[in-house]
Amino acid sequence: MKSLKLLALFVIPLGIIIAAVPPDRVKHFRLTADELLQEAGAGVQFVSPDVVADMLVQKDPSLRLIDVRTPEEFDAYSMPGAINVPLSNLLADEYTDILNQDAYMNVFYSNGSVYANQAWMITRQLGYENNFVLEGGLNYWFGNILSPEEPSQTSPNEEFAQYDFRKSAAAALGGGGVVSTGPEVPAVKALKPPSTTKAKKKPAGGC
Amino acid sequence: MGPLAPFEIISENTNFLLAFFIGIAFGWVLESSGFSSSRKLAGIFYGYDTVVLKVFFTGAITAMLGLLFMSLFGWVDLDLIYVNPTYLTSAIVGGVIMGAGFIMGGFCPGTSFCGAAIGKIDAMVFIVGLFIGVYGFAFTYGLWEKLYFARYLGEPKVSETLGLSDGLFGLLLIIAALGMFVVAEWAEKKFPREEY
Repeated sequence: MKSLKLLALFVIPLGIIIAAVPPDRVKHFRLTADELLQEAGAGVQFVSPDVVADMLVQKDPSLRLIDVRTPEEFDAYSMPGAINVPLSNLLADEYTDILNQDAYMNVFYSNGSVYANQAWMITRQLGYENNFVLEGGLNYWFGNILSPEEPSQTSPNEEFAQYDFRKSAAAALGGGGVVSTGPEVPAVKALKPPSTTKAKKKPAGGC
Repeated sequence: MGPLAPFEIISENTNFLLAFFIGIAFGWVLESSGFSSSRKLAGIFYGYDTVVLKVFFTGAITAMLGLLFMSLFGWVDLDLIYVNPTYLTSAIVGGVIMGAGFIMGGFCPGTSFCGAAIGKIDAMVFIVGLFIGVYGFAFTYGLWEKLYFARYLGEPKVSETLGLSDGLFGLLLIIAALGMFVVAEWAEKKFPREEY
């Protein structure tokens, strides 16, 4: 009986403490380094710029572009509708609701894809879903989506379809800041792009 | 930081080595608590000796408190702890068979090895029976397969099923365990046996 009282003296206070503290205080790290490397290697985080362009033109409400560059760069130019979450402040409390959610498809972008990839890796480690990276970043976006190059006469039909799509997308999205889209793009608004199968392709990896 | 093996802080082999030492320590604690005596073990069913209940429930609430506090301190991620999947039918059927074997044989599988280690002949006979059972099940597996996998519930925790937080359920379990210990000590006085 004496040992029972001694045991009770120990475990009951401990039990009360553990019942009183809020559960789930641990930040769950869901991925091992190996798993993360595998995902990054397979490129499941990338969203093709054509998909993003299509969603922008269709005004898809589920798309949310996140600029991870500095606020100065963001002010100088940003993609239509993008919000600024600088990489250096990624873990600030004010951004948690933006990054850890299941309503939007978040697409990180930076000039290339290095910073956007870093943002994706950090959020992935934290177990956040629905975050993706714009493949090629702004550089590719300017060079290929907003000012597409006309394919040569011998190119396969798919390339012409892609070119047509990009040209009309550029028309709809152009005039977005410092970039000159060139004289071949008329400043016509809301030119509906021909939908191509490529543009319909969903981003790889579960979203 | 933990659990250690899934985060690859220790290798799979080190994990087995640690398991080996923990196993030896477990056996030693079982033996020194008197778990190598079938008469003592069977006492739980007759009320004259309830050491089984006390040792196992003390062990369970200690481990539970340890895990919950480690989780609170951020030392272990409870989501990565292996939880046995629940197949309800085979759990009930297996529990009944195990209980019946426990009363008849006076050992449970672990304690039979504990008894055999200190040279108890009844424990060795029990182990032979255990292997007959294991091989019997394995060779007739096709007959039982449907029963074995019936009513799969995933990996539920009692706290989730009841909709309580892990900590609150822990406190309730501690109170329940202490209540059982009081009843157990009362039973030991009520149904005493001089020598066993």
